[in-house]
Amino acid sequence: MYAGASPLPGSKSSSRPLGVGFYLNKEVCMAPRSLFGILFFLVIFISVPVLAGGPTGQIRETSDKIIAIVSDPDLKAPARAEEKRQMIRQAVDERFDWEEMCRRTLGRHWAKRTQEEKKEFRDLFAKLLERTYLEKVEGYAGEKVLYEGEDIDGRYAVVKVKIITQKKTEIPVHYKTIKNGNQWLVYDIFVNGVSLINNYRAQFNSIIVRSSYEDLVDKLKFKVSED
Amino acid sequence: MLRSLIILICSLQIIVAVFPAAQAQQRWGPFEESEDFLVQDREEDPRESDESFGREGQIPDPFEPLNRCFFQFNDKFYFWVLKPVSKGYNTAAPELLRVSIRNFFSNLCMPIRAVSCLLQGKITGFGEELLRFVVNSSAGFLGFQDVAKQALNIEMRDEDLAQTLGFYGIGPGFYIHLPILGPFSGRSLFGWAGEQFINPVDYFFDSWAFLLSVRSYDYVNRASLRIGEYEALKRAALDPYVSLRNGYWQYRENKIKE
Repeated sequence: MYAGASPLPGSKSSSRPLGVGFYLNKEVCMAPRSLFGILFFLVIFISVPVLAGGPTGQIRETSDKIIAIVSDPDLKAPARAEEKRQMIRQAVDERFDWEEMCRRTLGRHWAKRTQEEKKEFRDLFAKLLERTYLEKVEGYAGEKVLYEGEDIDGRYAVVKVKIITQKKTEIPVHYKTIKNGNQWLVYDIFVNGVSLINNYRAQFNSIIVRSSYEDLVDKLKFKVSED
Repeated sequence: MLRSLIILICSLQIIVAVFPAAQAQQRWGPFEESEDFLVQDREEDPRESDESFGREGQIPDPFEPLNRCFFQFNDKFYFWVLKPVSKGYNTAAPELLRVSIRNFFSNLCMPIRAVSCLLQGKITGFGEELLRFVVNSSAGFLGFQDVAKQALNIEMRDEDLAQTLGFYGIGPGFYIHLPILGPFSGRSLFGWAGEQFINPVDYFFDSWAFLLSVRSYDYVNRASLRIGEYEALKRAALDPYVSLRNGYWQYRENKIKE
């Protein structure tokens, strides 16, 4: 539960338990019967761009998107599992700054890599995180996500979140983001005060120092290929 | 008996720790994360000096080969003993009961947390721990129910002597991975030994065999609620030993900062 990638998704507790997608489906099915329905629709659409401004809004947007995908009954069928994974992957890709993550996990070894090596590493590392991450997300069982504020410092921001599991365990999760244009992109996730990137950096550094960068790549390849 | 054994282990640890720990810092320094990649790669930004950029260093691990042996032992111990035992226990005891039993033992350990709060000057924490103990021991049926959290919203303070030592600037010493007991730093082992004197559980029983069984039961009960975490760590890690060492270190350092 605590190790590896964090369970990014979650509902917003109180009034909107399953995110925007859930309401859209419901509204489409029922057709806006009343003025209230139409108003509700408008409020949802207007509030999204407003929320999308800050780091919290953007993280929330991505979380809601993923929750909507994993809770969508149409996508529950095993035949559509791969399609579902693809959708989640895309939502995560939009919010993650893979380049920045790789730079930080390799640390001082990053600058020594050629362009091809960087690209290869980026793909492997993304696969490794996605593997862990997708498993967590697919096991989503109505965990709640409380957004507990953000600290913005120039082009860096921390979004503080608390995930409440069904067993009422509270897991503090901090998303570290960096601003790119008007997008706040995640470059590290802290679960219970443990940085994911720092943890991988320690492992990667230990492998490189002990043997070689090539060995690290082999180990990564092996890891992502195992079930 | 058990206590004197622990003291013996700890005094050995301290004797070993005092001498090489200082050198270990330097000896193992170059192997750890260097910061200069930042400068080569991009202009320096003071905000980048955060934890996720590797300025924090790592815990020295001069006994890594031995620790890795113990880690391997624990890995087998987990899959061959602890997990099957927990699984059997889980079928016999529902989760609600196991959580209650964990609460009961946690409640008994109040003096450790209260003393640690007091030593760090966290007076509110000290008061809250005392209040929690009174409330939970009475209204919470001897501590089986955490009513202080549920009804009064007073959470348990996760404080211990090792954090107190860290609070006063005492370094971690080095990493040690013990069989069955798992990861420790020199500092946390020392703190843990001290806690044996203020842990009331130890004063209830004269027979060390009985004490050992009570302690083991608490251990299995706690483990039974955390089955699956180690598998997750192992699955996500390229080197589970380093991943656990780093995770333990980050977690503890973070606790001291709080």
